[in-house]
Amino acid sequence: MTNIRKVSKLAGVSVATVSRVLNHPESVSEETRNRILKIMEEENYVPNSIARSLSTNKTNTIGLIIPNILDPLYPSITKGVEDVFFKKGYNILLSNTEYDAKREKDCIEMLLSKKVDGLIICSSILGREGFEIIMKQKVPFVLVGEYIDDSDINIVYTDYLSGAYMATKHLIKAGYKVIAHISGPMNRKVSKEKLEGYKKALLEAGYPYDEEYVIEGNNQIDGGHLALKKMIKKKGKPDAIFVANDLMALGTIEAIKALGYAVPKDIAIVGFDDIDVSSLIEPKLTTVTHPVYRMGLTAARLLLDYILDEEETCFKQKIFIQPMLKVRKSCGFDNRIEEIFS
Amino acid sequence: MSLSVDFMGIKLKNPIIVAASPLTGNGNMIKKAIQAGAGAVVTQTIANEVRKNVRPRIAANFYGMQNIELYSNLTLEEWEREIYDVKEKGAVVIANILAHTPSEMAYIANKVERFGVDAIELGISIPHGEGVELLISDKKRLYNLTKTVVDSVEIPVMVKFSPNVSNLTALAKTVEEAGASAISAIDAIRSILEVDIDKAKAILPTYGGYSGEGIRPIALAAVANIAQAVKIPVSGIGGIDNYKNVIEFMMLGASTVQICTSLMKNGYDKIEEILIELERWLGEKGYSSLEDIRGQALDSLKSFEEIPIEPYTVKMKSQCSGDNCTKCLKSCIYDAISIRNNRIAIDDSKCTGCGLCVSLCKKEILYLDW
Repeated sequence: MTNIRKVSKLAGVSVATVSRVLNHPESVSEETRNRILKIMEEENYVPNSIARSLSTNKTNTIGLIIPNILDPLYPSITKGVEDVFFKKGYNILLSNTEYDAKREKDCIEMLLSKKVDGLIICSSILGREGFEIIMKQKVPFVLVGEYIDDSDINIVYTDYLSGAYMATKHLIKAGYKVIAHISGPMNRKVSKEKLEGYKKALLEAGYPYDEEYVIEGNNQIDGGHLALKKMIKKKGKPDAIFVANDLMALGTIEAIKALGYAVPKDIAIVGFDDIDVSSLIEPKLTTVTHPVYRMGLTAARLLLDYILDEEETCFKQKIFIQPMLKVRKSCGFDNRIEEIFS
Repeated sequence: MSLSVDFMGIKLKNPIIVAASPLTGNGNMIKKAIQAGAGAVVTQTIANEVRKNVRPRIAANFYGMQNIELYSNLTLEEWEREIYDVKEKGAVVIANILAHTPSEMAYIANKVERFGVDAIELGISIPHGEGVELLISDKKRLYNLTKTVVDSVEIPVMVKFSPNVSNLTALAKTVEEAGASAISAIDAIRSILEVDIDKAKAILPTYGGYSGEGIRPIALAAVANIAQAVKIPVSGIGGIDNYKNVIEFMMLGASTVQICTSLMKNGYDKIEEILIELERWLGEKGYSSLEDIRGQALDSLKSFEEIPIEPYTVKMKSQCSGDNCTKCLKSCIYDAISIRNNRIAIDDSKCTGCGLCVSLCKKEILYLDW
């Protein structure tokens, strides 16, 4: 079997140069790189990653922990992470936590025992002590999700409160008087922040805040459906609803139609997340962009910086990715220019 | 006599910079600009996330060009190699970057600094794809974006300005306070180039950025305005097509200029043509460097109180030979110009000295005097 020494001999270069072609191809001139790659191909050379791990003390794998792969947000984050890492020769080990703290802890331990070079943890529900084990092993890690204060933790975050505030304010601007909210599960911090944003916009505009117009959903399509029915039964029809995520907004729209109402004529809807399907359904959903792909890219870049350049760890970074309002048709706002530019 | 300039502490062999644009979208394209003689190159806008470009996305007419191209199609990682390559060739490279929050902007700035760029330009005036309100338009946000980037890199930071704002002066002062090393002005202006009236359709499918000769007067005013408001240097951009335009920008306070549309329409030979003519003109006038002319024309800009009202009326150096040109006749809204016995006649009692005919007279026969 061909090994790295044979390739270097055939190419007339040092083993280190062949190794650089494998690990840092950008540092080798194009001509040499192509010559070596050609020899590798001719000789059917496949680098032995286990041997490499032993000599470099790196496994070229990173761990990515997400709550639930079926939630359309997380494939986008995953894609962002992989778009950066794949090109640098890393594999990703993926774990789902199902929003379970015990399971999240187990995932971290399992990935650490696999000797991953770094970890990205999305929407973590563990507090600081949950990360102590990672810090002790000096494995670089980046959190993705809502802001945390700890100065020694890297995080790529967005602001759910201001996103929800933007969404609600937009409905107020569009002239709706009774604006309800279908929230996510209240045991999650993100849901609480969105509720706060909703409340802030209402109170700022001098609207009353009526708790009965806030119905808790489960962040799934059926949750939106059920919440809408419950609201109509309990309080009657609102003018508009800010729904805490797009999946529930899809269910809400479906339920509104089933009850014989129209969106946005009878009830206007604004969602949150801007998942792919939001711009395809009728009416197209006005929503807040949850910049998950960009957050995935940024988290991966940040993690890679720390993996490649350990000295850099002297200060930790907190990168804020801005949520933005995407005005479409479901909010009944007929100012076309904002639709074009949002 | 030398065309070299010191810009933000960087020595440029000449003041011509190729502007952030589709022309500077990768290393090979940047190399072409350098080979053509540019003093420096600004990369196409580098952002965290690559957005696919639509087709078609560029349209031009006689006056200018509209583009709806978004940002660079290369990822941040890919730019590392491109910048390394062009830096190896000794180019001066300024990275144009875009993000929406200070922390995100600082991250990208840090990255491109490590890739080896010489300076950063904040591309926060893009007129399409970024909201009705430009990122630059809010003073507080502008300050935070600029300050955070300035604080997190060692290299100079320049901020690109747009005339699509209400108070250029206040914004210029804001970035100066935030520690920016320079201001570049202007970015393309939000536009719709033309409407195809047979199809009732705009020529490109969304609002875009207008550039080229049509925007030069707007750019000249913006550069003068900024130069009179702040002490940091200005890089003039907007419709530069020949050496005279370069001098115009410099006389209004620019230290360097950026060119794009003219190169896209006419090719890179333009750069050498401009440089040769520029050198010739400076030599003829006896200037030893560009610094001699910088800001020279700013003193000619006055407030209305300072402009003396003198009894000018239009005069003729000689009788016009005609050639069927009746521009002066047609343009005189005061009926002061007429033809009598086949000769142009001016009625002093009607002429109000507005000067329009003088600027329209191709033969330069007309002038104002009293």
